[in-house]
Amino acid sequence: MAVESNVIDAAGPYDRAKALSAFKLGDLTFYWITRLSAISVLLILGGIIVSLIVGAFPAMKEYGISFLWTQRWAPSADPPVLGALGPMYGTLVTSFIAMLIAIPVGLGIAIFLTELCPQWLRRPIGMAVELLAGIPSIIYGMWGFFVLGPFLANTFQPFMIKIFDGVPVLGAIFAGPPSYLSLFNAALILAIMVLPFITSISVDVFKTVPPVLKEAAYGVGCTTWEVVRSVVIPYTRVGIIGGVMLALGRALGETMAVTFIIGNSFRISSSIFAPGTTISAAIASEFAESDGLHQSGLILLGLLLFVLTFFVLAAARLMLLRLEKKAGK
Amino acid sequence: MTDLSVSVSSNAHLASQPLPEAPAKVTVRNLNFYYGEHHALKNINLTLGTNRVTAFIGPSGCGKSTLLRIFNRMYDLYPGQRVTGQLMLDQTNILDPKLDLNLLRARVGMVFQKPTPFPMTIYENIAFGIRLYEKISKSEMDDRVEKALRGGALWNEVKDKLNASGLSLSGGQQQRLCIARTVAVRPEVILFDEPCSALDPISTAKVEELIQELSENYTIAIVTHNMQQAARVSDKTAFMYLGELIEFDDTSKIFTSPSDRRTQDYITGRFG
Repeated sequence: MAVESNVIDAAGPYDRAKALSAFKLGDLTFYWITRLSAISVLLILGGIIVSLIVGAFPAMKEYGISFLWTQRWAPSADPPVLGALGPMYGTLVTSFIAMLIAIPVGLGIAIFLTELCPQWLRRPIGMAVELLAGIPSIIYGMWGFFVLGPFLANTFQPFMIKIFDGVPVLGAIFAGPPSYLSLFNAALILAIMVLPFITSISVDVFKTVPPVLKEAAYGVGCTTWEVVRSVVIPYTRVGIIGGVMLALGRALGETMAVTFIIGNSFRISSSIFAPGTTISAAIASEFAESDGLHQSGLILLGLLLFVLTFFVLAAARLMLLRLEKKAGK
Repeated sequence: MTDLSVSVSSNAHLASQPLPEAPAKVTVRNLNFYYGEHHALKNINLTLGTNRVTAFIGPSGCGKSTLLRIFNRMYDLYPGQRVTGQLMLDQTNILDPKLDLNLLRARVGMVFQKPTPFPMTIYENIAFGIRLYEKISKSEMDDRVEKALRGGALWNEVKDKLNASGLSLSGGQQQRLCIARTVAVRPEVILFDEPCSALDPISTAKVEELIQELSENYTIAIVTHNMQQAARVSDKTAFMYLGELIEFDDTSKIFTSPSDRRTQDYITGRFG
């Protein structure tokens, strides 16, 4: 004890209030730095929205609400005729098909990796999935153009047409002349691109399920499938939906690969094997050589994509809330 | 602290006369268990008597829970764990690699240390297990759920909120829900792995009472760190130490005149 008090004495008189005020200053600085960081997000978001609206204003004034359901896109006509229906349709359809494929496959991979996979196979598959996320989108585009497109046009589409020929709705969905560039090709590429998102997020949330909870389910005699369906997925529902929404956001906005393989046709066709376009593909392929009303129309398309994404995310939030209420939380 | 600190008098039939031997429900012969290289259980021999409560006591890491997890092959979920020896449930060889594990686990239920309600309603928590094996009508299911919840001494507390989430219950209620869920599947053996270690004293008393009631119809094995609890609820007690079964005898004998020095040291609190 004596030694300790000597040390304190040697340090001289100790002004506690002064030391504390230094801390307070640090705390205040810290508070403002974090607060400014948070506020900057709002500023950036607001700035983007404002500049989109300003840029899109001429087109909004010219076309009004009918922009949404006009299919014709003729920027070189005089005056230019612009309508967003084609790109909006293409965006929604490609994303929808992509999710239809990627959700079950992605969840399947995640379930296999966490619940069933033998240890030695776990790392190779996990790494392959992560590598899939690392491939630049232009490479997916090239692959879709040179490999997937010909395969779909020459082999897959004739096969589907043969099966569904004469069936009322499905027949029309698969009909049409073969084309390397198509909505379906883009949707498949999108599915592959968003797969890693769904898989890696699902794997992470599946790992948060307490082992004892799974053991309890096995303990009443569940099979692996029953454990996954009744315990693992309900327990991790929120996380899975979050991953799916992230993937959907990516699918809606993905530009480069889609521009490469979708064919950039503004005409809406009932067939998913026909060329089409998406909002981001339309902007990417035309923005550089556009001016005046045409450019404003493209910015308006961008604004639409923004709103579309917002609504998708809002819908997801709402769904989550309702699910939680149903689960009685 | 020279006299034994644990009283066994609360367990009426243990007080004086020795128990009549019950027919064996689970028979363990020369059982060895390995976590990879680690030899966790060494040459275990014992039997669980039909409709008897057998307690497993011993310091942490002595292999009690490991032994329990062999009875329903829970260790099978994890690679690198293996077992040798013989383990029979009546005439069924539990260690048979071709055994239907889901069926085994329906016969040998388990209640865990922490309450593990499934992420669903109280009703569904019970109905879920029943539905795995039986196709029954809604009204029959209602009956079974009520019966199970009564069996878990929980019915009066939850009968008005069967559609609330199982997670909304208190810890003690959750644990009784898990017991009810286990009972609902109509097992023959119920394994309790430190069922009260996360519960307050009142909930603990309720669960202990429940275990006593259940022992009229079920063969029960319970792992516990609480020696008073072992003395209160069990008919037979097994003392384990460093992966070995040191002593296995009537609970009254273990807690009054153990034959092994280490058992005596443990129950008097000299180590462990």
